[in-house]
Amino acid sequence: MTASKAASDHETDAAKTTSDLSDAANIKYLTVSNATFKKTEGQMLSVKVDGEEHPAVYVHCSFPHTNRSIYLSIRTIENKEIGMIRSLDEFPAETAQFLEEQVSIRYFAPEITRVVSVKEEFGYAYWEAETTAGLCRFTVRGGGGHTKLVTANRLLINDVDGNRFVIPDLTRLTDKEYRMVEMSM
Amino acid sequence: MNLNYELAEQDLIAARQAVGQTIRYCVPADLSLTGRRIAGFLVIGDEKWAYIENGRVMDQRSIADGTDYKIIPLIGNAVLEAEIDHSKRIIARLTMQHAARYGFIAQILNDISAKRQIRIYNNEEEPICAKCGGTLIHGTRVCPRCMNKAAAIKRLFAVSRGHWKTLALGLTILFASSGIALVGPYFQKLLVNGALQPTDGSTDKGMFFLGIAGMLAVLVFGELLAISKSRIMAGVSSGIAADLRKMVFDKTQQLSLGFLTSQRAGDIMNRVTSDTDRIRHLIQELCTTAIFQLIMLVCASYLLFQADWRLAVVVLLPAPLVAYLHRYIWKTVLWKLFHKQWRVHDRANSFLHDVLSGIRVVKAFGKEEREIKRFRDYNSEFAAATVKSEKLFSILSPITNYLIEMGQYFVLLIGCSLILDKQMNIGELIQFSSYAAMVFGPIAWMMFLPRWVANAAISIDRVFSVIDEQPEVIDSERSGKLAIQGHISFRKVVFGYKTYEPVLKDINVEVKQGEMIGLVGHSGSGKSTLINLISRFYDVTDGEILIDGVDIRTIQQAELRSQIGVVLQETFLFTGTIMDNIRYSKPNATYEEIIQAARIANAHNFIINFPDGYDTMLDENGNNLSGGERQRLAIARAVLNNPRILILDEATASLDIETETAIQEALKRVTKNRTTIAIAHRLSTLRHADRLLVLEKGEVAEVGTHSELLEKKGIYYNLINAQRNMTKKQDQNDGKDQPVSVEITA
Repeated sequence: MTASKAASDHETDAAKTTSDLSDAANIKYLTVSNATFKKTEGQMLSVKVDGEEHPAVYVHCSFPHTNRSIYLSIRTIENKEIGMIRSLDEFPAETAQFLEEQVSIRYFAPEITRVVSVKEEFGYAYWEAETTAGLCRFTVRGGGGHTKLVTANRLLINDVDGNRFVIPDLTRLTDKEYRMVEMSM
Repeated sequence: MNLNYELAEQDLIAARQAVGQTIRYCVPADLSLTGRRIAGFLVIGDEKWAYIENGRVMDQRSIADGTDYKIIPLIGNAVLEAEIDHSKRIIARLTMQHAARYGFIAQILNDISAKRQIRIYNNEEEPICAKCGGTLIHGTRVCPRCMNKAAAIKRLFAVSRGHWKTLALGLTILFASSGIALVGPYFQKLLVNGALQPTDGSTDKGMFFLGIAGMLAVLVFGELLAISKSRIMAGVSSGIAADLRKMVFDKTQQLSLGFLTSQRAGDIMNRVTSDTDRIRHLIQELCTTAIFQLIMLVCASYLLFQADWRLAVVVLLPAPLVAYLHRYIWKTVLWKLFHKQWRVHDRANSFLHDVLSGIRVVKAFGKEEREIKRFRDYNSEFAAATVKSEKLFSILSPITNYLIEMGQYFVLLIGCSLILDKQMNIGELIQFSSYAAMVFGPIAWMMFLPRWVANAAISIDRVFSVIDEQPEVIDSERSGKLAIQGHISFRKVVFGYKTYEPVLKDINVEVKQGEMIGLVGHSGSGKSTLINLISRFYDVTDGEILIDGVDIRTIQQAELRSQIGVVLQETFLFTGTIMDNIRYSKPNATYEEIIQAARIANAHNFIINFPDGYDTMLDENGNNLSGGERQRLAIARAVLNNPRILILDEATASLDIETETAIQEALKRVTKNRTTIAIAHRLSTLRHADRLLVLEKGEVAEVGTHSELLEKKGIYYNLINAQRNMTKKQDQNDGKDQPVSVEITA
């Protein structure tokens, strides 16, 4: 067998394995042609897929921290997956926009624009920060991973109530802010 | 829980206009759909609800228009939804702070909508600080706003009260040794002025010997005192740390499962070990070095001024300045560098830990090269960081130290000129410069004190935060003892780990004494929660659980649990012998009882074949036994105490068929005459159950015997059918008969 033949065999093999996987995974993709999304009067999302109407659906992100516009899972309240969207770019701007709205309602984590103070006492950190949702004061339980890096520079903070806050880029903090934040990491 | 917030005047007027004069409930809806925090409120009147924002009614409707009001917890926020005119809509959006409140509100709205009597389980109190009135964080008793670091250190001293005698002795020695250290320079002056270079010209041998003897005595006594001081202080600080460790450990044993599962085991371990050690270090340093340095500083500066005030000013004035500079260099340059170095070091370490514990996976996927490369990267990054910080340190450290000693240089400069002018003699200069040297050390040292104390205070915080944590499940004063017979009844039991998400809803079940109940249902249907409630690892949100007619909340926890035998899927065995492990549930069990228990559990035969029999030493978590053997030891452990209630939580799930048969046989013997509640992975395990309880989404969906439920053709029937179909398929694939046992996640 020649080297080139071996290489081409290898390629067909590779192609076969990927198609095997997608067969096995059996993901239903929603596209412009098979799904029509509608925003309801009550600020919710409904979808009609292959003629079947789902009055209230929820948009879940596969990668809520790294990319919110790809591989979105459309689910019912019973957590049944109706289908997945490969990328919002495949949809017209208007549809993409209200899907994005739904994503931002579901995944709510105000971005911290300025850290005013972080005080640590008795196992809890008391934060005061300016965020995209306004000035917030919140308490974070120490230890147990309530303040954690989700990517190299993106810090996710979970407060005692279950609210989430995000520092999108740690390197953009001032030295003073960084020192305060670091204490509670 | 506060379900009736007070509205500001403007809001109140608007609310009354919208829903009528009576406002029955009012809760904040503090998040807009665009993601801003706002001061909005959801107001509920007799028949209408309204959403108010800044004195204006933004939305209102009749409650009866909607059905199926529901709080939907999203990620980092929640929404109140309802079905209105056959379409779902969002009524209000809120931060998680109020999510629990809306659990109640949704229930209230549903009750009003369906014209039912409002039944709310508002027994959840919001803990409030007695001093400042602020809300406390769930599970803690101490209000952080009303407590500061000084108070923390005060508490530390409260703990050390038990050691005050030795502590006082140590402090006395400390004072004595600093006194002796201060006499040293005086003898030096005596030596120089009296013997070596007397001011009046005549040398004095007596003075010489006195000087030498004095210096020797200072040296010897000083060292002796230092040794005893260190010994005493080490004893005191270790004693205090041991007390703290004991307090933390005792607390971890008392705390409820809820708290312990919310914390990482390693984190709690750190608090028991390294944090208490840091506190020990603090006490030791504080009581030896810190106080010593302070005394030296005060006394030496006093003596300096006594000796020559001009020189004293020259020495002391630049000292704080220089010390500040010294500290500044540390804080801004060196600390940052070292900190970076530690972080790289931490990352490399955790990588190493990861790869070495997952070495089988690395090898299985053939990724050794990749890991080597990654380690090389971490390694060189660490090396680079170390070189960088060490390089800078090697330059800066001598410079800062030199700065500190600049004062000495000036002393010599001025002192020598004073001697030349005959205003001072050599002996005085030597004494003076010795005192001056004593001043610089403490000043430099104290510059680092605040940071160092702050670090230790964090440790104190962390330790006390565990000690202050309040168990969620507590024995009341009325709690008593009860010899359990085994009748269990659930009366209208509602339970949720978070109250707005009930996991179990309105459970009403009677379990007769000696009955075996099989719990069936999909994963997440609430089976494990149900059995956790029987052991009272959590308290019910509403309703009650009675054992022999007694509410389990009035039975002492230890008393209750000692009479319930539990076998879990994950058996945990402690390091020790087989006998120790079986005896765990009843430490005073006789040999005979142990062997009986082992026989009942079908474990005796394999144990007796071991070369060491019941004295076989188990490795960590019984790793030298097979899964089935471990499981049988766990069963023996559970039955040794002869419990009237037995709980089997997927006790046979991870075993092969043959072992399972052996264990089934054991269980049949074990469950006889005992009230048994069993969750099983394989439905076949539950064939012998007297009744089966099918749970579906936290509610009892079906109850009955195996054959009754089959006739009913409901959920259980479907589960069994799914099992049979799978078995058939398997049989066709394998082409041979296999026993009926298909795994359905129950």
